[in-house]
Amino acid sequence: MKIALSWLKQYLDIDCGVEELSRLLTFAGIEVEGIEEIPALGKTAVVGHIVSAERVPKTDHLWLCMVDIGDVPYAEKDENNQVQVICGAPNCRAGMNAMLALPGTNLKDFQIKKAKIRGIESHGMLCSEKEVGISDNHSGIIQVCPFIDVGTQADELFSLPDTTFELEITPDRSDLLGYLGIARDLSAKLLLKSKEPVIPALSKPEGSLKIELTNLEPELCPRYTLRVIEGVKIFPSPHWLQTALLKSGLRPINSVVDITNYVMLETGHPLHAFDYDKLVAKEDGQSHPDIIVRRAEPKEEFLALDGKKYILDGDELLIADGKSASALAGVMGGLHTSITFDTVNIALESAVFEPGSVRKTSYKHKLSTDSSYRFERHLSGEYAASISDRAASLILEIAGGKLCGEILDSHPIKESALVLGVRPARFELLIGYKMDESRIRDILERLEFNYVGKGMFEHGNRHGLEIQPTQNEREMALYFQIPGFRKDVTREVDILEELSRLDGYDKVPEPEISEQIMDRHAYKINNAASDWMVAHGAFETLNYSFVDPSRMKDLGFEEEPEFIRLINPQSANQSVMRVSLIPQLLSNLAYNLNHSERDIRLFELGRIYLQEGDTHREPKRLAAVFTGKDGESHFAKKAETIDYFWVKGCFEGYLAQLRLDYSASEAKLPYLTQGESFVYHMDGVELGYFGRILPPVLEAWDIDAQMLKQEVWVLELNMDNIAKISRNRNRIYEEIPRYPSVQRDLSILVPLEVSYAKIKDSILNTDRALVQSVSPFDEYRSDQIPQGFRSLSLHIVLQDQEKTLTDERIDMLMVSVQKTLKEELNVSMR
Amino acid sequence: MQDQLESLILEAEQEIKKCSAPNDILNVKAKFLGKKSVLNGLYGRMRELSKEERPAFGELLNGARVKIESFLESRSEAIKQESWKKDSSGFDNSLPGVSLSRGGLHPLSIIRRQIDEVFMSMGFEIAEAGEIEDEFHNFDALNTPKDHPSRNLADTFYLEGGKLLRTQTSTVQIRVMENYKPPIRIISPGRCYRNDKPDPSHSPVFTQVEALVVDKGISMIDLKDTLQSFARIMFGSNVKSRIRPHFFPFTEPSAEMDISCVACGGQGCRVCKQSGWLEMGGAGMVDPAVFDTLGIDSEIYTGFAFGLGVERIAMLKYNIPDMRILFENDLRMLRQFRGEM
Repeated sequence: MKIALSWLKQYLDIDCGVEELSRLLTFAGIEVEGIEEIPALGKTAVVGHIVSAERVPKTDHLWLCMVDIGDVPYAEKDENNQVQVICGAPNCRAGMNAMLALPGTNLKDFQIKKAKIRGIESHGMLCSEKEVGISDNHSGIIQVCPFIDVGTQADELFSLPDTTFELEITPDRSDLLGYLGIARDLSAKLLLKSKEPVIPALSKPEGSLKIELTNLEPELCPRYTLRVIEGVKIFPSPHWLQTALLKSGLRPINSVVDITNYVMLETGHPLHAFDYDKLVAKEDGQSHPDIIVRRAEPKEEFLALDGKKYILDGDELLIADGKSASALAGVMGGLHTSITFDTVNIALESAVFEPGSVRKTSYKHKLSTDSSYRFERHLSGEYAASISDRAASLILEIAGGKLCGEILDSHPIKESALVLGVRPARFELLIGYKMDESRIRDILERLEFNYVGKGMFEHGNRHGLEIQPTQNEREMALYFQIPGFRKDVTREVDILEELSRLDGYDKVPEPEISEQIMDRHAYKINNAASDWMVAHGAFETLNYSFVDPSRMKDLGFEEEPEFIRLINPQSANQSVMRVSLIPQLLSNLAYNLNHSERDIRLFELGRIYLQEGDTHREPKRLAAVFTGKDGESHFAKKAETIDYFWVKGCFEGYLAQLRLDYSASEAKLPYLTQGESFVYHMDGVELGYFGRILPPVLEAWDIDAQMLKQEVWVLELNMDNIAKISRNRNRIYEEIPRYPSVQRDLSILVPLEVSYAKIKDSILNTDRALVQSVSPFDEYRSDQIPQGFRSLSLHIVLQDQEKTLTDERIDMLMVSVQKTLKEELNVSMR
Repeated sequence: MQDQLESLILEAEQEIKKCSAPNDILNVKAKFLGKKSVLNGLYGRMRELSKEERPAFGELLNGARVKIESFLESRSEAIKQESWKKDSSGFDNSLPGVSLSRGGLHPLSIIRRQIDEVFMSMGFEIAEAGEIEDEFHNFDALNTPKDHPSRNLADTFYLEGGKLLRTQTSTVQIRVMENYKPPIRIISPGRCYRNDKPDPSHSPVFTQVEALVVDKGISMIDLKDTLQSFARIMFGSNVKSRIRPHFFPFTEPSAEMDISCVACGGQGCRVCKQSGWLEMGGAGMVDPAVFDTLGIDSEIYTGFAFGLGVERIAMLKYNIPDMRILFENDLRMLRQFRGEM
């Protein structure tokens, strides 16, 4: 729903800024979806009289107008107070009053300047509604009422500056579908007094016209009021009324229709006016027409205001005259009985219809109107007559005419008043803070919930007004009569919501937020590292934290490290805290070898205990030992022997999936073989190592390496460092390449001293943008190969992110790859 | 003429029958219907015939063409159908599959992860602290009297330099309360050490999980609630829990927690020594003296704590008779827990 600030201010003395008002609305539960400022146009946008309008020669749409601006000061007006203006609007004609923006006027999007159009000077612009800012209509210039004085400023005529708000009204709040409802909510939010429009007492009915009302469908039409006004004048509405409708997103039609729409926007309650003289009687010869509330006949036809003919199926509720349908109740009026400039007498309807029926009709005929939108959301019938009074008084004031008789009122189903109790204690329990009684009353009474009294709480709706007294704080309730327009408030909890919403959710005390104690990242990293090992076939072991100090020498360390020693160990071989997980894993290996196991993969994730000067650390490590085959033997598929490539894959694969950019160097540990053992670093921090255990070390654990005939591999991960370095490495989605990749294979002769890593780098460096990956698929050494060389076969994947690769481009790249390999590494093609 | 065509059709049919691959079909098609085929050649002879003879001759040729085409088509379809069929005669489908060789977690890790998950789902965080502790955190701050027997060398491992190996994870309570303000909701799983000789129910190295909740309005209801939820998730929805009075220096009131026997359902059996209940660990409301030591206002905050033995839970859950089995790292034991979550 769209509302204008200038109109809202009629009901509420708002003095806060637009931003603040928008915030208030949103935090009262009325979400502001858009704000549009309509700027003031200043003293140079004035009403002018078009004295003459002639076609600009050789054009078919431009008018050369002389516009009288009266006393408005403008340096270049002529002695007759006229200025020359070119106008392209189709409705421009001599004799009309129009809105002229003189040079210097700042419109919303641009500034008006003196211009030359087709060589003719133009002193300003005749404005459309869009240019003035009050609507999006740009089909012609505004026709200013001939009674408005020349020189009247646009700002006065259109209440500028102004602001419009686009509001999202939740479906439960039919009471917010009019300005008064919004003002009521804001008055409770701001604790301001709202001002209801003053309706002057209606004059005595002096007209003589009659009408007969018959309501055949009380279930679908709980209330229907009708009154006749004779002798109204139908003409374009005054500018204030037109402007009000325009700013709220409605098109002005004529005085009576505009007033019904105005009252709808004001109260949220749609009205409809019929041309009295087009209504017919049921019986021929009857002196006055009929209005009958009935269901449609199957296949009954209805010609609606939109000019379309609807075939009804018999379920729709109709407002009909004596012979045929005059309106689809609550949805749209009929074309035939609509108010036109020839209308003299009107019948004014103010009614409510059952929401489900309106929704069904609207859905079935794909007709959604401002009226159906409101009736679907359940309006109260209580106010139908007073709203009719409001409209009638405006009609009499603006369009003239005389009331005919008293209002006809069919009110078959009356709504019973709802009285609900609300416990302050319950508010505190549900919302979390105390609200005192006076505050509760203040907020609710501004919402027009009438205070009845206080006493013992009772669940449900109270029909009697007797309230039992109580001294019990928890049971004490304040009782209120719920106004009919608040169909959404039916229980205590609904009132609690009102109170909390209007007092502000920011009043709910902020909870004490507990600090983050847990290192969730490290926790997950550790579990995932164990899972990686499990996925690689390893079983987890757990060993005591104290060990035999001599085992470090068995690993080949010449010096004993600085151990943390127990004063009262249970035995000498459990006398120091461990500084490495490897010795116990080798013991676990030996134990299981002694129990006839051959293919063994074990790991432990645990702490080691390091003395560092006066202090100590307990870092977490993951160590693993592997030997034998990597799976159970199967007659058809042989398991792989765990070797250098297997362990390297396990180790580097782990780091790679964490997206760590590691670098490797020779691991210099006394228990590992040379050339097969590497330590990995990143940003100067050690991540871990892998390598093969030297056979003499195995002997120290009573493992006969010669008998075993298996390599024993170990790896170790420095979990604390890995957790630290992998922290906050958020993954960012990379666009999937839109163009296909191409694979080329290369077989090359490589001097023995040149490593694969060098070849790979060299190829990648040829064109980093194009070469996506290099991977080896064959290595070959034999007598057929020249001495001092080996053969390598590589897959090279090429891809361009911008376009499909052409053969020429690929060939050029491959030529330059070959050239570089030859020149830099003495690598030639096979 | 007709004979010639018929023998041609026959020849084509024979060859098409022999086709076994899409390529064969293409070759045969070229041979009999292609530009250089006999049939195509016959079309060329049309010109030699009189106007009257032509339609009949054309019909003859077309008939032959259609026949050959239909042979080709049905054979080609048959080849397609056969292509995905496999000769399964003599295939022994009872031979074992090749399975990915996964390892497995140690049963104590499995139990620890289960406990973590239970408590994390209840909004707890996991806190850790060092195993090497000082007397203050292990004893003094936990309100343990200076002459308490648990401080003896026979009970506690001491380290050169005056430190010791923590005897319970309650030390983490102290470390957390020193560094963080309430509300606190943590568990802390970790290793503890006591100078016990390894036997079926003792180990000098063992694992505890400590739980600590400190907030406004925490009462024994919360302790019971947490304990009951834990017991139900870990051991099944029929398991009951109870607490009974006990003594710990750092809780007041103190309690021991029992759960109904998981082996007999509370009827009484060998596992629960006919009592129907199994001891799970110590618990209680945090002693105000502990709060006071740490500068937490015991008038505003209350809390509960309890400690569980992970080895004991694992032994109960998996029916492991001897705690030492858990530290032998025998693959024949470890393999039994492959896939356990």
